[in-house]
Amino acid sequence: MQLGSVFRSRLRAATCTLLAVTAGGAMAADFGTKWTFEGASLLYSENKRTSVFEPLLIVKRDYGDGQTLQGKFVFDAMTGASPTGAAATNKVQTFTTPSGNRYQAQTGEVPLRHFQDQRASADINWTKPLSRKLRTELGGHASAETDYASLGATATMIGDFNQKLTTLTIGGGANDDRITPVGGVPVGLTRVNSLDHEETTLSKNIVDGMIGVTQILTPRWLAQLNYSYAAEHGYLTEPYKVISVVDPITGETASGDYVYEKRPDQRARQSVMFSSAYHLKYDVLHISYRRYWDDWGIASNTIDLKYDLQLSDKVYLEPHWRSYHQTAADFYVYGLPRGAPLPEFASADYRFGDLTTQTIGAKIGIQTGEYQQFTARIEYMRQSGNEHPDEAVGVQRDFSLFPPIDILIMQVGYSIGLP
Amino acid sequence: MRRETTLVRQADYWAGRFQAMGGPCEILIETRAHRKAAATLELAAAEAWRIEEKFSRYLSDSVVQCINRSSGVPVHLDSETARLLSYAHECHALSNGMFDITSGVLRRAWKFDGSDRIPEQCVIDDLLPLIGWEKTALADDSFTLPAGMEIDLGGIGKEYAVDRAASLIEQTMPQSFVVNFGGDLLVSGTRESGKPWRIGLDDPNLSTEDGLGMIQLAGGGLATSGDARRFLLKDGVRYSHILNPKTGWPVVKAPRSVTVVADSCIEAGVLSTVAMLKGPDAETFLESEGVRYWSVR
Repeated sequence: MQLGSVFRSRLRAATCTLLAVTAGGAMAADFGTKWTFEGASLLYSENKRTSVFEPLLIVKRDYGDGQTLQGKFVFDAMTGASPTGAAATNKVQTFTTPSGNRYQAQTGEVPLRHFQDQRASADINWTKPLSRKLRTELGGHASAETDYASLGATATMIGDFNQKLTTLTIGGGANDDRITPVGGVPVGLTRVNSLDHEETTLSKNIVDGMIGVTQILTPRWLAQLNYSYAAEHGYLTEPYKVISVVDPITGETASGDYVYEKRPDQRARQSVMFSSAYHLKYDVLHISYRRYWDDWGIASNTIDLKYDLQLSDKVYLEPHWRSYHQTAADFYVYGLPRGAPLPEFASADYRFGDLTTQTIGAKIGIQTGEYQQFTARIEYMRQSGNEHPDEAVGVQRDFSLFPPIDILIMQVGYSIGLP
Repeated sequence: MRRETTLVRQADYWAGRFQAMGGPCEILIETRAHRKAAATLELAAAEAWRIEEKFSRYLSDSVVQCINRSSGVPVHLDSETARLLSYAHECHALSNGMFDITSGVLRRAWKFDGSDRIPEQCVIDDLLPLIGWEKTALADDSFTLPAGMEIDLGGIGKEYAVDRAASLIEQTMPQSFVVNFGGDLLVSGTRESGKPWRIGLDDPNLSTEDGLGMIQLAGGGLATSGDARRFLLKDGVRYSHILNPKTGWPVVKAPRSVTVVADSCIEAGVLSTVAMLKGPDAETFLESEGVRYWSVR
């Protein structure tokens, strides 16, 4: 047997292209819908912390010649409380918000700041084929909330090679964000005070690029490898986050002894992602692995598994499992020791700590008509970190410095296609 | 066109039948549920009729007729037609120009009716300028066929229909089934008994393992090229109906028929056709490609 024959492998590749693309594809292209409307509502709820209610609308126009235009409009209503960065201690802690409100954290509690905000965003995406083997995608993004505005644009080129078995993607984007902290811009690593800071608008810019290759390995198996790079610069600090100044022996905090956090004004982020979709008889198994690292010292691994279970012609169920772990940023601290020289940068934001997130969930899709589909998704996430780190001193050892966070995500959506 | 299907209960499967692409088509479905079998049969038949209507060279509103009447004017292609023509293009390149979907015009000269009527060389010479895939231009979404030339997807259309119908059925049911369009077929999935399907090949001269023209197939596509009944016989020389597009004459010393098993039906079809075009080297070619095959000489 000469399985390696050029004739056979080229014929197999050609057949693969003909049949892999055709399965479902020809039907969709020839009898597809011109307009698709999708409405959904998402509820994100952290146990005793932030809640986000997010209605969204996606409108897609398919011109039938490979050209599509899509608009996505999202509104977020955020309420609840988020950690200030201050550590739990053996006293009641009192804080004053930038807008002058006072709030307290009880003994042993991680101090939380209550907040309420709304955010609106719009994304426009346009796909246009340039030739049978080349297409381009252009996108625009705008969003606004009380103290933050973002504008962005992306451009991507996608080319098919090797009889459409291989697809190369090269893209780039730029974002220009404006931050106007409520109560002015605090000076990093200086004592938190109630003095009014100067009301200023700061900027943050992001430039990113990605390159990816998608390969149809068999008519049933598709694999993808992506690399992406993003460079951020500007005001990358979170103006409302603070750090407790603690007694290096007792671990206690003196009343009102906190400093504002300070992060570097540049960040280079990189990631490599491998993903694979395998079509079984009529189910699909999705596996992906992502490795991320940046020059702030954070490195993470993500494994994601999804299984599309086709329960009947009209119903599918998609169980989902995800595991995420990241190492802490170089400047992440649980608190700063009183009297010691200040570091160049420091943040006690738990999102920069040693963090593990486990997610389990499922999505169900029900075809309610030829072009109508109902979907519902529920996911449970648990974020946990180092509750009792080696750096904890004195009374800090008595409290959990990183209590696990339970998060529930629920989403329902309905899409309608018009021929 | 007759648009009827019949469904008959067999020992442990349903057999559905209908007519399409000039011959009998059969779907064997290993299920007890009549409704499931009926729905599967309708799905397969609808796909066979769709492809027949779209690519038949006999139907006046087919894409193929539209191309054949284009008189050298570029024709806009839908994505499915573009993919099929790309496939034909690749087969032409792979076979060094022997597999050529423009060679159908030779049928005007050759009638394989078992007689001894060999055409005059001058008739063939008049037709040869109308043959040659390299004279056509396949662009991104258009195709230009010089005036007077014709394309015929008969060499891959039926096999494509088998693979398409099988892929549609696979998306709706996990059970094992057979799609058999006039002897070109595909077997999918493992039967509950674990045994392979027994397929009857419509060729009395074929020597199969059991000597009864039945073969066992557990999975994959199967296609036959050549027809033991279509030939010309003159002065003791047997002329097969497989024509060399470069000379306009039948391929000499080709097997009467070649049957090949491959991953898909269309792959089996191309392998068997290219083998026939290799004439005396048909079996050598199939051996070297490492495929399961039967040839009749």
